[in-house]
Amino acid sequence: MGITDDGNLKISWSSPTLTPFPLQYQVKYSENSTAIMREVDEIVSATSLLVDSVLPGSSYEVQVRGKRLDGPGAWSDWSTPHFYTIQDVLYFPPKILTSVGSNVSFHCIYKNENKLVSSKKIVWWMNLAEKIPQSQYSVVSDRVSKVTFCNLNATKPRGKFTYDAVYCCSEHECHHRYAELYVIDVNVNISCETDGYLTKMTCRWSTNSIQSLVGSTLQLRYHRRSLYCSDIPSIHPVSEPKDCHLQKDGFYECVFQPIFLLSGYTMWIRINHSLGSLDSPPTCVLPDSVVKPLPPPSVKAEMTVNIGLLKISWEKPIFPENNLQFQIRYGLSGKEVQWKMYEVYDAKAKSASLPVPDLCAAYAVQVRCKRLDGLGYWSNWSNPAYTVVMDIKVPTRGPEFWRIINGDMTKKEKNVTLLWKPLMKNDSLCSVRRYVINHQTSRNGTWAQDVGNHTRFTFLWTEPAHTVTILAVNSVGVSVANFNLTLSWHMSKVHIVQSFSAYPLNSSCVILSWMLSPSEYKLMYFIVEWRTPNEDNEIKWLRIPSSVKKYYIHDHFIPIEKYQFSLYPIFVEGVGKPKIINTFIQEDIEKHQNDAGLYIVVLIIISSLVLLLGTLLISHQRMKKLFWEDVPNPKNCSWAQGLNFQKPETFEHLFFKHTDSVTFGPLLLEPETISEDISVDASWKNKDEMAPATVVSLLLATSDLGKRSFCASDQCNGANFSDAEGTEVTCEDESRRQPSVKYAMLVSNSKSSETDEEQGLINSSVSKCFSSKNSPLKDSFSDTSWEIETQAFLILSDQHPKIISPHLTFSEGLDELLKMEGNFPEENHDEKSVYYLGVTSVKKRESDVFLTDASRVLYPFPAHCLFTDIRILRDSCSHLVENNFNLGTSVKKTFVSYMPQFQTCSTQTHKIMENKMCDLTV
Amino acid sequence: MHWGPLCRFLWLCPCLAYLQAVPIHRVRDDSRALIKTIVTRINDISHTQSVSSLQRIAGLDFIPGLQPVLSLSKMDETLAVYQQILTRLPPRNVVQILNDLENLRDLLYLLAVSKGCPFPHSSGLKTLESLDGVLEASRYSMEVVTLSRLQASLQDMLQQLDLGPRC
Repeated sequence: MGITDDGNLKISWSSPTLTPFPLQYQVKYSENSTAIMREVDEIVSATSLLVDSVLPGSSYEVQVRGKRLDGPGAWSDWSTPHFYTIQDVLYFPPKILTSVGSNVSFHCIYKNENKLVSSKKIVWWMNLAEKIPQSQYSVVSDRVSKVTFCNLNATKPRGKFTYDAVYCCSEHECHHRYAELYVIDVNVNISCETDGYLTKMTCRWSTNSIQSLVGSTLQLRYHRRSLYCSDIPSIHPVSEPKDCHLQKDGFYECVFQPIFLLSGYTMWIRINHSLGSLDSPPTCVLPDSVVKPLPPPSVKAEMTVNIGLLKISWEKPIFPENNLQFQIRYGLSGKEVQWKMYEVYDAKAKSASLPVPDLCAAYAVQVRCKRLDGLGYWSNWSNPAYTVVMDIKVPTRGPEFWRIINGDMTKKEKNVTLLWKPLMKNDSLCSVRRYVINHQTSRNGTWAQDVGNHTRFTFLWTEPAHTVTILAVNSVGVSVANFNLTLSWHMSKVHIVQSFSAYPLNSSCVILSWMLSPSEYKLMYFIVEWRTPNEDNEIKWLRIPSSVKKYYIHDHFIPIEKYQFSLYPIFVEGVGKPKIINTFIQEDIEKHQNDAGLYIVVLIIISSLVLLLGTLLISHQRMKKLFWEDVPNPKNCSWAQGLNFQKPETFEHLFFKHTDSVTFGPLLLEPETISEDISVDASWKNKDEMAPATVVSLLLATSDLGKRSFCASDQCNGANFSDAEGTEVTCEDESRRQPSVKYAMLVSNSKSSETDEEQGLINSSVSKCFSSKNSPLKDSFSDTSWEIETQAFLILSDQHPKIISPHLTFSEGLDELLKMEGNFPEENHDEKSVYYLGVTSVKKRESDVFLTDASRVLYPFPAHCLFTDIRILRDSCSHLVENNFNLGTSVKKTFVSYMPQFQTCSTQTHKIMENKMCDLTV
Repeated sequence: MHWGPLCRFLWLCPCLAYLQAVPIHRVRDDSRALIKTIVTRINDISHTQSVSSLQRIAGLDFIPGLQPVLSLSKMDETLAVYQQILTRLPPRNVVQILNDLENLRDLLYLLAVSKGCPFPHSSGLKTLESLDGVLEASRYSMEVVTLSRLQASLQDMLQQLDLGPRC
């Protein structure tokens, strides 16, 4: 017993075996439900009975008995009772197997707590996850609800469940029983191919797209229509199964043999399952339309003689009888052929001729075919056919040749050796069997000599003019275009090559160039000949067109050898006189190489210089900073308190006291530092802000007596100090007796017309203690008329006032300065020995001469180094003296300064110094 | 008498449905191609090449020979006879030819329909059963002669198709 798809209870039984007559059956069943309780007897002749109006929760008890249908007979005994209970939820059909895109419906009767749920209150759920929209419900009766699914998609398996569970529920409750919905994608592509003999059609299809359904089987079924396919293939009720075999690639393969070429085979795949069967969409195949022809037989390939085309010929395959198109592929024979394609749409064509680039190569050729109307498939490629390399045409030309004349050139009879290069395939087309030399002389006429396959031939040249021609011969014939060479006694003296030169580029290339003079003879071409070193008579040669004036020879030139290049003009009348030059390949090559190397070296040197200069500048700046900043400020010294360093007397007195106090040895016992303090106070950054007056003072002081120092300030126009705003120089010495001070003062008044460098010389300030622009000294100088011109002077002081260099002349400007500053507080004016070394504006920098207008002292003075090369003398006076000596001789000691000569120095040293300073005026 | 036209109309209906789907020139071309195919198939059977056309074979008169003018119906009748004979020959060589002949008869049928010709399908020889003894005794002769004459008949039909056969 079971529920049918229509919701009926089907009671079925089997008929008893071995009954020779038909039977009739009596069915007795009782229905017991909450609503009704009944007993029914029915007599039927079939072996089943449908009970309608079944209700959920009902139970049935059934018994059957039989009796002969016709004629006499008695009823059999009742069968044993069978019981069947219908669940509280009744689905019909309980399971549906369908294909993608189809529409299906489920019906449901739901009994909840012994009460039938009204169909209007039934809702449907899918997989207990989603509620099915009410638009898909319909009410069949008060108790029966229906849900419809349209255009179904394939069921996605959820674990082992390959169906969708459809639930019939009340508003808030679902029974655990459900209906099963199996949706299978049955779109199967069936492809067929008819063989070249038109006797067999093989169809293939894959199950990959079909969802596996446990317990299902697949079968290809077909229906043959007598002719052709219908426009819309459909599943015919009468069909035949076809055995198919699973292949290794996962495809099923079915073979139809023999076939009806023009019959339409409508095929589909049937999926058989216990729930029913599904059919894939049918497809119709006409065997004649899916023919894969046999490849064209008798494919041949050859190079056509005298035409030079690749000719491919083939035969039409025996089947099909339809018109065919052909495809040709061809390529140079080898391991990996680079195929080129050519298509032939002429069904009657059985050959094709194709141009190919290389006539003397072996080509591989294959042909395939397909129906011209496009139906079916391309055949396989035919077996490859190969061309045979053979002579296609007569050689395009004879060989290029040259001659070597052996023996004494003065004799009239000479041995001439002809040399020629074997013809290549593209010229010989495709081989040379032999060479023939044609001779022509005025006396002996013409004759030919077969020289076989040799490339050298010697003959005797006896007549004034002898013309030779070399012909190349292959199996097709003799070369048409050939070169002639006339050996002429007369022409060998014709000289038209004016100049001829060779320029080696590298070891593999030499450039030749030449100039010609006008000639009445007709120039055909040139022959360039060069001799291989160390091999006698081994020459190489080239033919060059007559229009060329420059030519690149590519060869392997040995770089240490001397080469001889000869340029022969070849006239119609004969070979002209050559121009011969000798060239050393090595020199020129090396020259070029050296040139290149030289450029690199120069670049490296320049780079190094730039780097060095930068390093020097940086170190110089750093040294200046370290050096000058360490100079102590004399104003901060205790012994300098109360001293006016603006006055020379103070300065002089400081040292005179020291001189006078020689006897006060103990005062000199303690060595004190000797300071030289130069402060440069100037505005460097802006020219316009530069102070017009420049005063440079140099102070040297011994500290043993008065412990006084002198500080001078200066303002200069210039830029040689770059960004330094102040520069200090300190000199310390251990002078203990006869302190002597020689100081110099440079007063400069820059002129705006001076060059920047000249301005930079002086634009500085000295002395850290007066580094301020508002220093009294600077102010005192600023208004003087000396600002008009740049001047500098040195003030020298010594303990020997009588010793004054007669060569030194006081500067007028200095006199004025002394007058202006003349109120020195010290009283010993007359005892002061002041030496002036006049230094004035720079007249000419180029000559490195520093000239004072007033004193007319001439001394080399590199202006740009004025303050830059001051050296510190710490250890001994001798160094200082030495440094002062250097003033007159060394360019580095460009700062003409007065340096003190301390007591510790010998008198001789002083004299030397003074003499040296006198020499400054020389 | 009145049922005749009606039966003919009913018989023509499926044929007209065919012709709506398939152009008649394609039917004609396919007929030619199929005839050539059968001829080639016969050629491909090697032992049929050696039959001399000069020597007459006695006792096989039931096999159709060349006929001066072939109408479509006559062609069909001839092919039906050959089908009957070939079905009694060993299937190895002729089974595909048999299928081709069936297709060819269907094509001729369509051609006849296209011309509006009455085209009753021929049922072949009525007395063929009596020839079974001959077939048993002379199988080779039977096959060779049948195929040879079929080939000639087909080539003749091919010419007739080019000319436009009568009904």
